[in-house]
Amino acid sequence: MANAQDEAVSRLDSAVSEVFEMMLERSCDPMEGEVDTVVGRIVARIQFTGAVDGECLLYASPATASITAEALLGTPSAPHDPMADDAIGELCNMIAGGWKSKLKSPEADCLISAPKVTRDGLEGYRPQFGTKFSRNYSFQGNIFGVVLAF
Amino acid sequence: MRKVIERALHQAGLELTEVLQASNGEEALQILRDNQSNPLALILSDINMPIMDGLQFLEIRRQENLAQGVPVVMITTEGNETFVMRAIAAGAQGYICKPFTAEQVKVRVLPLLRAA
Repeated sequence: MANAQDEAVSRLDSAVSEVFEMMLERSCDPMEGEVDTVVGRIVARIQFTGAVDGECLLYASPATASITAEALLGTPSAPHDPMADDAIGELCNMIAGGWKSKLKSPEADCLISAPKVTRDGLEGYRPQFGTKFSRNYSFQGNIFGVVLAF
Repeated sequence: MRKVIERALHQAGLELTEVLQASNGEEALQILRDNQSNPLALILSDINMPIMDGLQFLEIRRQENLAQGVPVVMITTEGNETFVMRAIAAGAQGYICKPFTAEQVKVRVLPLLRAA
């Protein structure tokens, strides 16, 4: 089990790194600590179905979201700009897709949903998956968290 | 992502005179139906979209014979061979996996525009 967890986290680190290097042209490193899921953060959610059933959640502050949007678009973005929410949804989409692309067959034969993004917290949300991996990441001092659950 | 792609096309040296945007396949089909007398140069589509995904969009586009001469490039996180083959069978000429660089967009999109 420890190996499976190490592999899942290693794939996640690699997916995050690729997304930041290719799309945002900057490095992003894993950090120690629990992912901050308090209300007020922007949450993006992608679901995996098929050979893998699970979900990928990405938590970011509005400030981190606006910096992510700026990095993706090359134009300034305010923390309450809807573009910041879109950026977090797309970041989650690319990370989940990158993670999935590193799975071997038959696990790779799963579908990922379009991202859903909320600023209202995951009210009423009940985690339905038992195994969970979570990891914080930092780029230029901006922190976001990713949770994978299966 | 639509803004990100616009930026990448701009970086690739493309001057975009008009960009028609849709947030899902259904909206994209309506744009094609509404612009039959306004030829488009290129269609870029994701696969994972709400309401109607990119593969369904391609199938219905073909069934309705909409914008058949316009090159289609899929830009998506779905990089596995099954999706690539399905997209190409449904009428896509190009396929770019996210994450991508502006150079990858340039290399895959410009030849299609030149050939169109």
